[in-house]
Amino acid sequence: MYQQQKRATPFGVLRYGLVLVVLLWTTFPIAWMIITSFKPADDVMRMPPVFVFKPTFDNYVYAIEKANFALFIRNTVFVAVASTVLVIALGTLAAYSFARYNTGEGHILFFILTTKMFPAIAVVLPYFIIFREIGKTSVGQALAVGLDRPGALIISYTMFNLPFAIWLLVSFFQDISRELEDSARLDGYSRLQVLAKVVFPLATPGIAVTAVFCLIFSWNEFLFAYILTRDAARTITVGVESFFTLRGILWGPVAAAATISVLPMIIFVLLLQRYMVRGLTFGAVRG
Amino acid sequence: MIELRNVTKRFGLTTLAVRNLSLEIRDQELLVIYGPAGAGKTTTLRLIAGVTKPTTGDILQDDESIVDVAPENRNMAMAFENYALYSHIRVYDNLAFPLRARGLSKQEIDQQVHRIAHMLQIDELLDRRPGFLSGGQRQRVALGRAIIRPASIYLLDEPIGHLDAKLRNRMRGELKAMADEQHSTMALVTTSSREALALGDRIVILRSGVIEQIGTPEEVYRQPQNAFVAAFVGEPPMSFLDTEPIQEEGHLYLRPQGTVLQLPVSPQLAQSLDGDTTRYRLGVRASEITVSSQQDEEHQTPGEVYVVEHLGYCNVVSVKVGDGLLRALVGSNVRPSPKENVWLSLDCDHVHLFHNGKAVFHPSRLRNG
Repeated sequence: MYQQQKRATPFGVLRYGLVLVVLLWTTFPIAWMIITSFKPADDVMRMPPVFVFKPTFDNYVYAIEKANFALFIRNTVFVAVASTVLVIALGTLAAYSFARYNTGEGHILFFILTTKMFPAIAVVLPYFIIFREIGKTSVGQALAVGLDRPGALIISYTMFNLPFAIWLLVSFFQDISRELEDSARLDGYSRLQVLAKVVFPLATPGIAVTAVFCLIFSWNEFLFAYILTRDAARTITVGVESFFTLRGILWGPVAAAATISVLPMIIFVLLLQRYMVRGLTFGAVRG
Repeated sequence: MIELRNVTKRFGLTTLAVRNLSLEIRDQELLVIYGPAGAGKTTTLRLIAGVTKPTTGDILQDDESIVDVAPENRNMAMAFENYALYSHIRVYDNLAFPLRARGLSKQEIDQQVHRIAHMLQIDELLDRRPGFLSGGQRQRVALGRAIIRPASIYLLDEPIGHLDAKLRNRMRGELKAMADEQHSTMALVTTSSREALALGDRIVILRSGVIEQIGTPEEVYRQPQNAFVAAFVGEPPMSFLDTEPIQEEGHLYLRPQGTVLQLPVSPQLAQSLDGDTTRYRLGVRASEITVSSQQDEEHQTPGEVYVVEHLGYCNVVSVKVGDGLLRALVGSNVRPSPKENVWLSLDCDHVHLFHNGKAVFHPSRLRNG
């Protein structure tokens, strides 16, 4: 069989050289983290760094047993998933309304965006005080909204992710031709049925992308979790910080804990990648 | 019967899509809505379907207002111009979509889907998603989804406009046959004069949201009420000559602009023109005049060939007469070359006359049948 052999051009070499540099740049810290997590305590800080060593699970055992990391993971999963579900539930409906009915004629949409314009640090103290006070009330107790309670984090993350989610979703809904909905209505479906059978299925890629972004944000969030939780509701990112002890930084357990916290996100994104490509509406209307 | 009463539709403050439109679609009628782009054709269909609400006016079905009836409760079917296919499901499910809303059994649905798919020649495409179809195939799916079920009226927005010529011809026949056999009521939007004349029981000609004329194909073709309708209906389009009336020895003549010709006007016609001496515009259908290479009794108007279009079964010759251009049908074997001098059978009593855009005279019969 005749096979075409591509000649290596200077441009090609440069291109792949650049790709390699970027790849090393981005993957090395992760690789280093994973390697460190398996290193015995003596090898962690050795200079020059060793790449050949006897792998050990000591760091993982330490992180999970001594530092109660299993609880942090449970907390993080619960808070991240709950806030993402809330954001998607509220966000899709709001975004649909903005996209279809131009609710508020752009003003409300812009107002929602402005809530993203101040830095998190500016609101974290008011949040602290608000949640402290709410936590003292019976409602706060019942809904687990208070300091060191997961509800406080869920609400904070929802508040922070919602504007962003709405903005993302609006454009996805705008991409769905209005005629599709009209057509489905004429085919005999009510407004809500049209949403369920036509609009939301078509918006799935957009919703998936938005959910991934929200989940990643909630998973990685540090500032709010650091200020609003102490023990019971502590999340992974804050948990990692707990290895910064008075005796020094326990790099081995830090690396192990960090590896544990990164892993679920990587698996999750790989699973959802299929939905993250746009183009489900491809072919709906005349181009 | 569906009736639009003084319906106006505004978009925003400045756009008037439909202006004070009154229209009636009779039962079992195929009404063609015909007009140039932006005339309000699609808006009219959407108003009937209920997916657009009229700004003012009323829409009635069998003498009851349906303005407040939701589209899903109107039992109407519509094929959209941009197809509006559900791209996340297969062609089969697209066709089955309206049937499922009616709770038909699986078996019935299957039967109907295959019947329609066969009629539209999309049998092989049933398992594909719309994104993997060509434009013409998508249009057939859109049409199929609209006509797969019984409906009080079928609203078809350019349903066959994007098919290839052969398929379009066949589908035109199928649509007409379907309308006749099932005694269905249809409103069909088109931008093709040929489609309008071939399909319509009646034709509504819209321009800028206003009705220019409603009538049978015969009426709008033979007796266009104004120059717009005359120019817009029929292929090749009607040609126009601006003329000035001249009185000489008690006889009325019309002189085409840019010439020294005098076209005699018969006394009967002169009488019906009521002695008005302002400008008249002659409207000549290509089939209403003949061309000859020599001057004879019938061919008295000289002109110069501008261009010849070959249509296969005949040729269309454009002839310069003064400042105007007249198109005439000739046999496919007649091929005068450009700049050749020819003679036309231009006769004021056998052409249309327009005054200020309004038709004032139509020939009682066409010369060539």
